[in-house]
Amino acid sequence: MVALARKTLVYEWRRFLPAILAVGFAGLLQLLQAALVLGIFGSASVYITGSSADLWAGYPGTQSVNLGRSIDSGVEMRLRMDPAVSAVEPFHWVDADWRGPSDTGGVSVFVSGINARPDGLLFAHALSPALRARLNEPDAVIVDRADLDSLGVGIGDTAVINGHRVRVVGVSNGLRALGGVNVVASLATAAELDTDPSNANRMTYFVAKLRDPSDADDVAARLRGNRAFGPYDVWTAESFARRSQMYWMFDTGAGAGVLFLAGVVFLVGAVITSQTLVAAVIGSVREYATLNALGVGVGALRKVVMEQAFWVGAIGLLGSTVLGGLALALARSRSVPVALSLWTTLACLGLCMGLAIVSGLAAMRSLRRADPATLLR
Amino acid sequence: MSSISLRARHVSKSFTSGPIHNTVLHDLTLDIRAGELTLISGPSGCGKSTLLAILSGLQRPDSGQVTALEQDLGELNLHALERFRLLHTGFVFQGFNLFPALNALEQVELPLSYLGLAPGEARRRAVASLEEVGLGPRMGLRPSELSGGEKQRVAIARALAKEPGLLFADEPTSALDAANGQIIIDILHRIARTHGTTVLCVSHDPRLVGHADRVLAMEDGRILSDRVPSPASTPTSGLEEPSA
Repeated sequence: MVALARKTLVYEWRRFLPAILAVGFAGLLQLLQAALVLGIFGSASVYITGSSADLWAGYPGTQSVNLGRSIDSGVEMRLRMDPAVSAVEPFHWVDADWRGPSDTGGVSVFVSGINARPDGLLFAHALSPALRARLNEPDAVIVDRADLDSLGVGIGDTAVINGHRVRVVGVSNGLRALGGVNVVASLATAAELDTDPSNANRMTYFVAKLRDPSDADDVAARLRGNRAFGPYDVWTAESFARRSQMYWMFDTGAGAGVLFLAGVVFLVGAVITSQTLVAAVIGSVREYATLNALGVGVGALRKVVMEQAFWVGAIGLLGSTVLGGLALALARSRSVPVALSLWTTLACLGLCMGLAIVSGLAAMRSLRRADPATLLR
Repeated sequence: MSSISLRARHVSKSFTSGPIHNTVLHDLTLDIRAGELTLISGPSGCGKSTLLAILSGLQRPDSGQVTALEQDLGELNLHALERFRLLHTGFVFQGFNLFPALNALEQVELPLSYLGLAPGEARRRAVASLEEVGLGPRMGLRPSELSGGEKQRVAIARALAKEPGLLFADEPTSALDAANGQIIIDILHRIARTHGTTVLCVSHDPRLVGHADRVLAMEDGRILSDRVPSPASTPTSGLEEPSA
C-alpha cells in the first residue's frame, strides 16, 4: 500500500505546517491553562491535601475550607468516642491582618493554628518535623517562601498579626493561598492571635485519623447529624478538598472563564486546521479525481484525508506535549502553582485530537469537488 | 475484424444553465472495437469530452444506453460503477494529475493497491508498465524531476498497470510538444495492438489523425464522418526519446 497521506504530509510539509501549529498551540494552551487552573485552585485545598487527616468536622454547609465557622469544642469528644478514629486534632483558622517590618501596608493573612507535634496530622505532608518543632517557640510562625516579598519579611524577622507580635522561624514550600497569605502557627499562638471573643471554647475544625482510611465514607456518615454538640458536619478529606476547589473554580467565575477560553481555543484551532486541510485537499483535487476515475472509491479517498488529519493532530500534540512539559518544569522552578494529572493531560490532548478529526471531517466535504467528469474538458 | 467492446445506442445529453438549454449529444449511436486506437476529433465544444465521459461511465446520459465489455453501465449504481472502473478502465487526462509527493513507481502502484493485489504483484506490474512506456530508469523520480512527456507517460503507465480492457485518453498530447506528443500517441497505439485494449482518444490535435486506426469527426454533438486514415501516414517508429 502506498502511504499517500504520510508521503504527501512529509513532501508538502509547508502546506500542512499551519494546521500542525494550530493543533500544537491549541494543545499547549489547553494543557497550560488546565495546569494553572488546577494548580491555583488546588491550593484552595492545600490545608486538606497537605494533611494526613481522613475526616474533617466543621460547621454545616461550609463551602470551602477557608470559609469555616467555629464549632463547639465538644465535637472533639464525639469524634474520639468512635472506635474507628485513631487520632483527633483541632485546626484553628484565624483571618488576620499582618503588618510587616517593611512598608507593605496591611496584608490579609490566614493563620492556621496546628498541632506542632512531629506526628501531627495537619500539614503532615507540607511541613517537615524539624520545621514543625520550631513552631513550639512562643509567637513563632512559618510563612511560604513565595510570600516572603509580599509580607516584607525574612527568616528571623518579627511582624505584627492582629496587634500581636510574631516571629518568622521558617519558610515552607507549596503553601501559597488563594486571596491571601498563609501563616502557620501552633495552636497556642493561633489562640493568642484570635481576637474574636465569641470563639472562646470553640474551634474551626476538628480533623480525625482513622484506623482504616477506606472506612472514611461510613465513619463520616455515622458521625454527622448528632446535634448534642451544636451544629457540625463531618466530611471525608477527599470530598471536602473537592468541594473547596469547586467553590473557587465556579463560584468565583474562574471555571466558567476557563471553559469559555477552552471553547475559544478549540474553535480558533479548528478553523485554522480545517482551512489548512481543505486547502490541501483542494490543492490535490485533480489527483484525487483521477484516482476516482481509475475506480478508487470516494470512501478510500476520505480515508486519506482523515489519515492526514490524524497525523497533523499527532504531530501537533507531540509538539505541545514537549513544549508543555518544558513550560511546566519552568513554572515549577519559579514556584508558579501548576498541577496536571494524567487524566487531565489525556483530556486536553484528546480534545485537540478531536479538533484535528473535526477539521478532517470538514476537509472531507471538499472531496466532493473531486468529480472525475470535471477533468474532461 | 476485432470484436466490439464499447457500444452506445441513441445516447443524448444536454445541460441546462439557467434559461439556456444546451444539447451536447444528439441521439448518438456508436460502436468501438477492441484492439484499436479510435480517435474522436473535432473542435472544442463539439461534445467529444462529454461523449468520452459517458462512454467511460463518469457521466450518465439523459437517454440511451451504453454497454461496455458486455455490461450495461446504466444498470450500475455509483458504487458498482466505481468498481467497474477500478477493474476495467484506465484514464489519461490532459493534465497529468500526478501526486507531487510520490515517485513514478508509487504513482503507478497507488491504484493497484486498491485492486487488492499483493504488494509484490503490484510492484511487479508497476515496474513492467513503467518499462513498457520507457521509464524504467526513471521510476524513482518525482513529478517535479520529470519532463512533461515523461509525466504523461507515468500517467499512461498508471492507467496501463491495471491491465484495463478500456483505456480512455482525453487530449493526452495537447500540453506537449510535437516530439513528446508523437511518443504518447505511439504508446497508446501500441497498447491497443499488443494488449488488445480498446483505446478511445479524444483530441482536437490534427497531428494525431494519422496515428489512429479509426477517426470519428464530431461537430455539434453529432458524428460527421467515420473513416480509417490512409496507412501511408501511419508511423512505423516505436518508442524514441526526444533529443530535446
